[in-house]
Amino acid sequence: MPHFIRGRGKMLAIATLVVLLSIVPLLGNNYYTSVLLIIGIHAIVTVGLCLLMGYTGQVSLGHAAFYGIGAYIAAILSKTYHVDPWLAMVVAIIATAAFAFAIGFPVFRLRGNYLAMATLGLGIIIWILFRELDWITGGQSGFLDIPTLSIGGFAFDSDFRFYYLVWGFCLAVMFISQNIVGSRMGRAMRAIRDSESASQSLGINATLVKVKILALSAAYAALAGSLYAYYVGFIDPPPFGFLFSIRLVVMAVVGGLASIWGAIFGAASVRLLTEFLHPFGDIDVVLFGLIIVVVMILSPQGVIRGLGDLWRRISRRLTPS
Amino acid sequence: MADILQMKGLTKAFGGVIAVNELDLEIHEGEIIAIIGPNGAGKTTLFNLIAGVFSPTRGQIFFHGQDLAGTNDYQRARMGIARTFQDVRLFGNMSVLDNVMVGLHSRSKYGMLSAAFRLPQGHREEASIRLTAINTLNLVGLGQRADINASELTFGQQKLVSIARALATKPRVIMLDEPAAGSNVLETQEISDLAKRILEMGITVILVEHDMRFVMGTAERVVVLDSGEKLAEGTPSQVQNDRRVITAYLGEQEDQI
Ligand SMILES: Nc1ncnc2c1ncn2[C@@H]1O[C@H](COP(=O)(O)OP(=O)(O)OP(=O)(O)O)[C@@H](O)[C@H]1O
Ligand SMILES: [Mg+2]
Repeated sequence: MPHFIRGRGKMLAIATLVVLLSIVPLLGNNYYTSVLLIIGIHAIVTVGLCLLMGYTGQVSLGHAAFYGIGAYIAAILSKTYHVDPWLAMVVAIIATAAFAFAIGFPVFRLRGNYLAMATLGLGIIIWILFRELDWITGGQSGFLDIPTLSIGGFAFDSDFRFYYLVWGFCLAVMFISQNIVGSRMGRAMRAIRDSESASQSLGINATLVKVKILALSAAYAALAGSLYAYYVGFIDPPPFGFLFSIRLVVMAVVGGLASIWGAIFGAASVRLLTEFLHPFGDIDVVLFGLIIVVVMILSPQGVIRGLGDLWRRISRRLTPS
Repeated sequence: MADILQMKGLTKAFGGVIAVNELDLEIHEGEIIAIIGPNGAGKTTLFNLIAGVFSPTRGQIFFHGQDLAGTNDYQRARMGIARTFQDVRLFGNMSVLDNVMVGLHSRSKYGMLSAAFRLPQGHREEASIRLTAINTLNLVGLGQRADINASELTFGQQKLVSIARALATKPRVIMLDEPAAGSNVLETQEISDLAKRILEMGITVILVEHDMRFVMGTAERVVVLDSGEKLAEGTPSQVQNDRRVITAYLGEQEDQI
């Protein structure tokens, strides 16, 4: 195991890994594998949002845009310009992070509700661009025949294979994020969240930290977006719209905004719920609104933390004193 | 003695309210100076001007002879100007030790990449950040409380942590905004001793405080502000006996002394 995999997340990580790797052979190449795979992709985006919202205290209601930009850049470069898909993915990640870095400076002049509105607006504008720039994006009819990833002669062309690829990336993103959160940078992020003015009084350039974290979370989103594009082989605007931005926030909230590993739980809960409610259209979004409100009131640290606290309380009751 | 800070014609207006008015003031390197004055006199505003939170409406501030115009708060912190807040502003969801470690942010440099992959440079720096933070926490007498959440401390202890946090930035001058407010007699004495120890470390101390006994027992020099203007300046006893001060400030609070 690489030396950077250490610390608090280690046991959790190993447990997750074992569970994930052992259930897949049982599932085989089917619907459930693809659902778990999509959960992995969404978890990657959610972790980034947790870094931004939970640790740094900055709202984003437009994160689906970064996911989409990553997906479209990877798709267009690899299909239209015949760039190697891995290289296209790297370019997509770097370009999306650079874009986030650039818009970060004006965007973070805003705070609170204004920041929420601005990110919401940006997300919508970019989504409209996906739809309207049809000569490059394929517009509403979508972008077809995106090549898939391969190493040497080994193509990630089945759900089964792609599953391992996605979860490999997802776990790497988890470890990296856990390490950042426990570092000098992580302290600066939490300091900004708790008191921006005090953090600046200690020599922290709060805007720069926020912009860097926005760029990092955009890089995660772009990684996830390009994986999605290669996996499905076809992209069109709907998965990158406002509703997905909201779902991402729900995933982060359910998993615990300031919890790295909770992101997997959050992504899984939301995805499974969406699958169950699929026959009823977008009704899940109404439910998600409710979930956010309930979780924020009952257990702002996330559902897992909340259940843990509940369990401790019950077991204390049950232990004879 | 050389001046560490110089204010020249310093003025700050908030709309119609002139919080600091044509202030000329020198802070000598290596002194403890107290800024006193009634509520709304402009003391905190003066700190905010020096710290770079506000830019002056008129006038200049020099630090070691260099004009501070055009520098902002985090840059001034890095230059060696530290401050605490009247309303403390600890990082409430972080441990006491983490609060102090944040203070060392600008005195360390390992970045996101070192952190992400736990490279050796980050490891080394992190160990020294931790050690320095523990030492700084011991200096204010809170080493035993390092691992608890900052919000669980008493108000007095929170003030001490905020001083430790500011000291961790390795400042040349530290501004303490009402460090003894809300503290009992014993704690007030400890803060006075702490201010003197900070001075011995070679750090100039500027403090704002309403507790007169504390001011008289701690500061070598006192400046009285009233409606943003300098009313008097001198040793504690000179200021205490100044007629204008007695009428404008001490007079109205006589029963508190
Ligand atoms: N950000 C601000 N916006 C508008 N007015 C302000 C601002 N900050 C301070 N003031 C005003 O400037 C004046 C001086 O306030 P300041 O906080 O500096 O007083 P102070 O001497 O620190 O008082 P106290 O002893 O109550 O802390 C007051 O009239 C106050 O209302
Ligand atoms: Mg004040």
